[in-house]
Amino acid sequence: MSKSWKILAFGILACVLVIALTPYVWILLTSFKGRLDILSPQPTWFFTPTFANYPAVFIDKEYLPLVFNSLIIACGSTALSIMIGAPAAYVFARTDFAGKEDLFFFFLTTRMAPPISIAVPLFLFFTTLGLTDTIYAVVIAHTTFNLSLVVWMMRGFFAEIPKEIDEAAMMDGRSKLGAFVRVIVPLAAPGLAATAVLCFIMSWNEFLYAFILVAFEGRPLTVGIPGLITPHGTLWGQVAAVAVVATLPIIVFTFLVQKHLVRGLTFGAVKG
Amino acid sequence: MAVSFKQVTKRFADGTVALDHLDLDFELGEFVVLLGPSGSGKTTACRLLAGLEQPSSGRIEIDGKDVTNVPPRFRGIGMVFQNYALYSHKSVFENIAYPLRIRKVPAADIERSVRDVADLLRIGDYLKRKPAQLSGGQAQRVAVARALVWEPAICLMDEPLSNLDALLRLHMRTELNRLHRKLDKTFVFVTHDQEEAMTLATRIAVLKDGRLVQFDEPKTIYRKPANRFVAEFMGRPAMNTIDGMVEGGVFRAGAVACPVDRSDGPVTLGIRPEQIELAAASTPGAMTLTVDVKEAVEPDTLLIFQNSGGNAITLRTQANCDAIEAGQPVSLAFPKSALHYFDARTGQRVE
Repeated sequence: MSKSWKILAFGILACVLVIALTPYVWILLTSFKGRLDILSPQPTWFFTPTFANYPAVFIDKEYLPLVFNSLIIACGSTALSIMIGAPAAYVFARTDFAGKEDLFFFFLTTRMAPPISIAVPLFLFFTTLGLTDTIYAVVIAHTTFNLSLVVWMMRGFFAEIPKEIDEAAMMDGRSKLGAFVRVIVPLAAPGLAATAVLCFIMSWNEFLYAFILVAFEGRPLTVGIPGLITPHGTLWGQVAAVAVVATLPIIVFTFLVQKHLVRGLTFGAVKG
Repeated sequence: MAVSFKQVTKRFADGTVALDHLDLDFELGEFVVLLGPSGSGKTTACRLLAGLEQPSSGRIEIDGKDVTNVPPRFRGIGMVFQNYALYSHKSVFENIAYPLRIRKVPAADIERSVRDVADLLRIGDYLKRKPAQLSGGQAQRVAVARALVWEPAICLMDEPLSNLDALLRLHMRTELNRLHRKLDKTFVFVTHDQEEAMTLATRIAVLKDGRLVQFDEPKTIYRKPANRFVAEFMGRPAMNTIDGMVEGGVFRAGAVACPVDRSDGPVTLGIRPEQIELAAASTPGAMTLTVDVKEAVEPDTLLIFQNSGGNAITLRTQANCDAIEAGQPVSLAFPKSALHYFDARTGQRVE
């Protein structure tokens, strides 16, 4: 690549970076601003930081448990999606049956409708089950969209593993289920981990279903934020504080697993 | 360990009949080679015996016990796959140890068994490596070691040598022969390579279109092929088969004319390339044909003649052929003792 192209490429990257990061930096700064600095019509870059927003929302308003709710919901729906989706994907990868491709496509269609269109039916459904305002409702709701992700991603990963590996495990003494759990799953681990990370992020960031299904008990961080819009005005400092706490772990986590994530998503060449 | 296929038929979901009423019996300690072209059902037969496929009808028995519906892990059969199917996330040692780990064998015994079988297959130095760090030949040995380590009575091999290069294939063939002599086990080996079959088998089962064509010792298969298909499949180059007529004790087809002990009528004559003799033109029963192509495959020479009847006739000889050139007429003789006869219509051997 010539030098001028390189400069252009860096220029474009810099633009994208600025556009992507500005709101985040703004939120980060806002979380340390006092009320006056926040409402100032001039954007202020230099101000006296205050740490009051964090204890105000997490201790006084008791938002701390929401972090754990978010964690439980994301982990729960990820685990559930993987546990149901991975065996399903394995069957799609290995077995031929009538209507297989149609059924496979059906999994994708569950994601085609805008989420809002099934929000009300979902609410009625959980009301009938008596699960509204519980963490379980959100876990199940998030599983509905994560499941299709798992099935679609894992089918490819399983298909990359030669079927002779299953057969070798069966000849070595495993049952069909044993071959899947003890041999195929460990071999697909990089892909499985990458899929799990994506599921976790999807669920952690989800707002709509959680907002409709839980109001108090079991609400995650995302649902906590609208609670800071009060009749006396929006508590921007506290909103920013919650937003930072809701995003920072995911960003750090993604950076940490980035290498594995890329490897998992480009997983393949499982050579015997 | 006697194995027997009883009227086994395998029909796949798409309607293909891979095996058609196969009857096959063999005994403990045999090295049985299932031989046939692609689509002959040889791999299917092997997978049915392994339990990886279920027959559509018929029974498979091991030692008189019906195992048709027994899952693979209870059949006492080890298997080597064409692509080796090693567990890439485990070390070589763990790959070989895996069947023993599943059977909860004590660690000390596992250690000893793996070392023994690794020494037998000369892979003792690679036990710590991962499969990806092995060459094709080494990976093949690991796969064989894994199939043998738990001492199953029967060991299946589905085209295990076809992914190896030519030199290594010869070498592994010798190793397998040695292994079979050393271990008193039943080996069932699938291949489409007649040379592998000839060198390895105690008995060869030749399959075609899902049917058993002939099941005999290699030398019988070579010397008395049951029909034209077997005759043309075994031996390299293949047996010459010539369609013609017998009239007054002489077989005629194009330029070919040779005395035979048969009554008049149409017949297919078979003769192996190495049994055709170069003869002087004055020899009784000799015929003269024109050389089409000459191929020197030292120490042999192949002479290919174009017969006016259609079929090419190949001759293989170790005699000095320096004087013979393509396009030149050459006198040949078909010794009576070397002739095979096949029914002109059915292709079955007739004595």
